[in-house]
Amino acid sequence: MYLLKFIAKRIVASVGIILGLTAVLFFLAAISHNDPVHAMLGAGATPSAIAAERHKLGLDNPAIVQYFDYLKNLLHGNLGMSYRTRRPVASDIATYLPATLELAGFALVIAVVLGLILGLASGGSYRGSGVLRSFLITGASIPQFLLAIGGLLFLYGKLNLLPATGRIGISNAPTGPTGFYTIDGILNGDFGVTLDAFKYLLMPAISISLGPAVSIGRVLRGSLISTLGSDYIKTARSKGIGGFRILVRHALRNSLGPALSMTGLQAGLMFSGVVVIEDIFAWPGIGYYTAQSIPSGDFPAIAGVTLVLGVGYVIINSLVDLAQLLADPRLRRLEMSTSGVSPKRSYGKTDLNGSSQTVVQLEP
Amino acid sequence: MTKLDSSIKDVVLAKSIDKNVMPLGQKLAIGSLLLVTLVALLAPLLSPSNPLLPVDQPFVSPFSGAHFLGTDSVGRDELSRVLYGIRASWFSALAVIAFGVIVGGIVGLVSGVMGGVVDTLLMRITDGFLAFPGPVLAIAVVASLGASLVHTLIAVAIVWWPFYARIVRGEARAIMSRPHIEAARSFGVGRFRLALRHVSPGVMPAVVVTASLDIGNLVITLAGLSFLGLGQPAPAPELGAMAARNLQYLLQEWWVSVMPAVAIAILAMVGNFTGDALRDYFEAKI
Repeated sequence: MYLLKFIAKRIVASVGIILGLTAVLFFLAAISHNDPVHAMLGAGATPSAIAAERHKLGLDNPAIVQYFDYLKNLLHGNLGMSYRTRRPVASDIATYLPATLELAGFALVIAVVLGLILGLASGGSYRGSGVLRSFLITGASIPQFLLAIGGLLFLYGKLNLLPATGRIGISNAPTGPTGFYTIDGILNGDFGVTLDAFKYLLMPAISISLGPAVSIGRVLRGSLISTLGSDYIKTARSKGIGGFRILVRHALRNSLGPALSMTGLQAGLMFSGVVVIEDIFAWPGIGYYTAQSIPSGDFPAIAGVTLVLGVGYVIINSLVDLAQLLADPRLRRLEMSTSGVSPKRSYGKTDLNGSSQTVVQLEP
Repeated sequence: MTKLDSSIKDVVLAKSIDKNVMPLGQKLAIGSLLLVTLVALLAPLLSPSNPLLPVDQPFVSPFSGAHFLGTDSVGRDELSRVLYGIRASWFSALAVIAFGVIVGGIVGLVSGVMGGVVDTLLMRITDGFLAFPGPVLAIAVVASLGASLVHTLIAVAIVWWPFYARIVRGEARAIMSRPHIEAARSFGVGRFRLALRHVSPGVMPAVVVTASLDIGNLVITLAGLSFLGLGQPAPAPELGAMAARNLQYLLQEWWVSVMPAVAIAILAMVGNFTGDALRDYFEAKI
């Protein structure tokens, strides 16, 4: 029951946030320095043609009417026309989205696995964990594009191990049903395609995932250290259970909450890293689409991508909250006892000591 | 036995450290922060030549005599460009942080000290901002306003202050329940004075640590936006844009792209290590 109530509340909150985002984007479009009519008609248009186009686009209506028109269009899946490609933004995004989802999903898997390893390895107190801590700080300081450039120079330029740009080297690769080349290759029984797609994925995915991996690792480290100081761990130690077993079997589960929060946050932030990385590797996803739209001032395209990514971000974070509620009985009890107050996450940024910024905030 | 010995040693060591003396590592970290600030301030004096004008052949190799970091595709001195880029990146990051600390600090302080409806309302607004994916929204803001450094800073500042509001509000709430606040109240201290004189000093350590840890985040975020072409237009020496515009020469003239990217990494690292050191420092004091 409480779970249904929680989900209902989250849906209402999410709809509110997404409405807010549409309002912001509408406002940004209204104050945009690029006039859509000029962008569509070009510089040499006559005043009467401009007036006719304005009327056709509904730009001569009051702002509030225009906003509701905009919302109505959104509900019909109409994100406007791109100035650059002259195609509907929605169909552009649909074309490019699978590539981005494949890249981001793969990057997320790497980030979580690497983050777990980093967190566990630096969480213990043994010789060398201090070095790892410095490594974590250094890792958090490396911009993604430096990794990407470095990877291009060595793995492609020097060693020629991995391909530099694009998504696949096989010209007539099977398309469908998922749009993810790695999975489509398996589904169509063509493992050569999967392997080739994997090679193309590796460098961009690693470039994107190292930062999030370090963030997850640091948060996990912080919460592991505080868990390791608790009484039940001391009990386990006094019973003679080995350090590694305590870390993995006893401390890890109780320390996963903040790391899970951070994973959700990073999954959302990953989309912004995707823009830069896709641009470098010419990865044909919505990040590349955005990067191409920036120089030409193609605001409808950028607004469309922002909206899609914003909705994705809100959904991911709601799912993470739900997962936390399911995973941690203490939160569940709190949710039941203080009806009306949902466990609120404080959306902390990359906390470099991994301690307390991204913890579940229990206080209303 | 050895375990006990070492733990005794730890206790003795811990006692012997004077709380007001900073360990060497922390001094070094804070020193590096000051050094970078100095370099950023003195960039015009330190650069060997004008960052906007060609001074030599294009693509002179780095570490080879006249040009320490080589020259770029039109023969401009790379070191000068990187130095000016550091100046722009560093002060941009500091400007956004200053905005975040002031606006977020005021919102958080008001929220924490007033409590009740004001608190709920302000924090709902803050959470609304935090619910958006900040960097992506910043791209949309700059795309709407038009690409320029000022617009980028405005966009990032808009999505950045809520973090500070949350942190300051949390600290302020905690401080409000302390006895010295009760004492001050019983003397009839008004809310304004209470916030300014009795709450804000206690909030400072958390803000300073967060702000210094934020420098790295901001340098990287701003560099990413600049990389995408959302900063100053072409000839301006901006680290992110320099890395992006010279990618086409990467396999032959690698330094033109790599040097600015490395500079960004160094700036972020200085910020992160300083933040870490400051956190350790304040934790040791408490």
